[in-house]
Amino acid sequence: MDPSIISLIGLAISIGIPILSAAISIIICGTALAGVGTEKPELLSRLIITVVLGEALAIYGLLIAFMLLGKLPDITTMETANKALIAGVVISVATASASAGISYSGSSLIAATAERPETFSSNVIGVVLSEALAIYGLLISFMIIGQI
Amino acid sequence: MMEIQKLKALVYEEYIDSVVRSLGHAGVVQFIDLREKPEDWNTVFLPYKQSTDNINNCSELLTKIETAFGTLHIRPDDFPSPKIPITKEMTQKVLEKVEQKLDDLPIEEAKIYALASRIDQIIGELGIKPEQFEKETSLTQPEEIELEHIEFELIELDKTIETTGLSNHHVLVERITSKHIDNFDEIGRKFAELSKFVIDSERYFGKRLLTLKKTVESIIGTIETGINFEEIRQDLLTLWVIIKEEKRISKEKEKFVRSSKTVFFEAWVPETLEKEALSRIKSASDGNCMIADEVPNLDENVPIMEKECPSYLQAFGKLECAYGRPSSGDIDPLKIFAITFPILFGIMFADVGQGAIFIIAGIIFTWLRRKGKVKEGGDIIRYLLISGEMLIYIGFSAIFFGFIFGEFFGPSGLIHPITLAKIGPFQIGGFEPTQEPMKMLKFAILVGTIHISIGLVLRFLNELRHKHYKLAPIPVCWIWLIFGSLFMWAYWGGISNISLWFSEGNLMLIGLIILPLFLIFVFAALAEGFMAGVGFTVEVFAETLSHSMSYSRLMALGLIHSAMNYLFLVLGGVEHGVFPLQSIPLIAVGTILVLIIEGLVVFVHTLRLHWVEWFSTFHSGEGIPFKPFEST
Repeated sequence: MDPSIISLIGLAISIGIPILSAAISIIICGTALAGVGTEKPELLSRLIITVVLGEALAIYGLLIAFMLLGKLPDITTMETANKALIAGVVISVATASASAGISYSGSSLIAATAERPETFSSNVIGVVLSEALAIYGLLISFMIIGQI
Repeated sequence: MMEIQKLKALVYEEYIDSVVRSLGHAGVVQFIDLREKPEDWNTVFLPYKQSTDNINNCSELLTKIETAFGTLHIRPDDFPSPKIPITKEMTQKVLEKVEQKLDDLPIEEAKIYALASRIDQIIGELGIKPEQFEKETSLTQPEEIELEHIEFELIELDKTIETTGLSNHHVLVERITSKHIDNFDEIGRKFAELSKFVIDSERYFGKRLLTLKKTVESIIGTIETGINFEEIRQDLLTLWVIIKEEKRISKEKEKFVRSSKTVFFEAWVPETLEKEALSRIKSASDGNCMIADEVPNLDENVPIMEKECPSYLQAFGKLECAYGRPSSGDIDPLKIFAITFPILFGIMFADVGQGAIFIIAGIIFTWLRRKGKVKEGGDIIRYLLISGEMLIYIGFSAIFFGFIFGEFFGPSGLIHPITLAKIGPFQIGGFEPTQEPMKMLKFAILVGTIHISIGLVLRFLNELRHKHYKLAPIPVCWIWLIFGSLFMWAYWGGISNISLWFSEGNLMLIGLIILPLFLIFVFAALAEGFMAGVGFTVEVFAETLSHSMSYSRLMALGLIHSAMNYLFLVLGGVEHGVFPLQSIPLIAVGTILVLIIEGLVVFVHTLRLHWVEWFSTFHSGEGIPFKPFEST
């Protein structure tokens, strides 16, 4: 296959899957948040962290896509094209995993906080650690692009 | 000296209600729920299980009184809460007396007087002058039917007046002046409309009310009961307050424990109020008590007296409290938080132009807040106004980092990056993050290491304050470990050169990573046991790695911020710091987009770095505020 096509596929994956992942976590946490908001609106300012951390996944994808976009003229060989593809796959898998974590622990965090607000500080760990998974993927993806 | 003392008291059961009542009137102590730690007392005492009669009776009596309020058209919130005397009787006796008194009150007979009183109240609220509306009236129907009609009509009138806001003219006036503040003609016109509305309404309501009043008065004239409605209302209000107080007392007593004839309780009391609390317990129990006060144990979660947060730190105070207050005896990190928060935000949002916008917005919001506009507007407006000063700080920080990374509405080329310092491979400023992302990554990790180390220093001080001398060396070793790892990474390189760490750099590895980890294990094992030591060491190792890496988000979000701005610069045709005229609308749109979306994301990530990576090193967030029990 043509290197430019492979690199474009990498770019498409690097933006598409993180956006999908972000959407899933926002859909799940956002609906849970809306439910709690009707009962206890004073908790919304704290719990909005779940939705924003979900949205950040799309930003990581965007960063990698931007960097790949900048590298497109340099991708002429199969080796560099494969690196671009792998960079896209790495950030996609990482954000998808983070999305699963944020969705599950985020919606549970929202429900638990509505019931007992004092548990927020310990329960939020699940959400933020899930989100950290995406950062690890981002770092590796970033380093792969650095080698192109 | 601790600000809060612990009070322990043993009181004869017959006096316990009186003691709680007396303490509740003064609002000086916060009772400790002894059910939470049964191991402290279960060999001596039993839980203080009261019969449910008292609480049930309270609820029943409250329902009765509230029904009487409804029958007599009394709105308890419209009247000042009556002061009730402190009695030494037991709750059960008090409830019996209240029930007796309630049964004696002539509620049904007072109904007609209640109608007259309510009509007078509305006439007073609307400022209606009876001499304007002279109208004779006479009874057209039998008394009972007439009364039912009046009652129904009064409820309808009440509703109408409430929905139009007629009884509060100033509300209507404020509504007009706030909407048309600069348009005097419009204000005049609206006021004329309002006056007409008010006059028309008052004319209508006035006529109806005076008719009703006369009807009621003529009915009253036919009966001679000699009832003083004011007294009945006052009695009902007093009984209502008494019952509410007894209900609170009964609930509070569930926190106590008992022996066969005595009740034992513990309470937190501020040092300054201790004497008052002691004298109240003694006098309420006629001296039939034993009291001891003690300085709380350093490990106890003692409530903290809430100090008022200065207005310039208010937003940071709210963010800290959202996570949790510092435990008793811990250092309050608020002031350091107020410095590190803007710094981390500024690194991710480095931009001279957008920083200046933040400062301007911050000044406007602060000014509006000080003008007292916080209560107006929705939640989002309120949050923005509260965060006025915080926006100013993060604006300055964004400008500062904008200069060192050369960003003015993105990497426009107008400002050249300024190098602040070079520490080994770490460079502070002097590069554009989008051009040299690796330098930015190193800078982000360096910032993270310093940030975590500040947290560890605070942890060290907290351990000393709690006299945990065995645990105090752990944060010191942790700082050694974290800076050692950073040095190894900088000296030998990262993952790709990891083999060098174990070959040529093995001595350094032992000195900078293995030794501090071993010492952490030794100190943790000495303090908490062998297995806890192993667990804690593994935790420290994992946290050092994951928390430091987490700071790479400073780089990621910084690059994204720069890249988003760059997109609009390219679309607008900005080159080498020259902004063509046609690019300005596009950049304005881009800036608004970046300020809102990126601003929110960067804010949450800064908060997350503080809540998770920073607070977890030293701040438990388990502090509870001192909330004294108040019975009235």
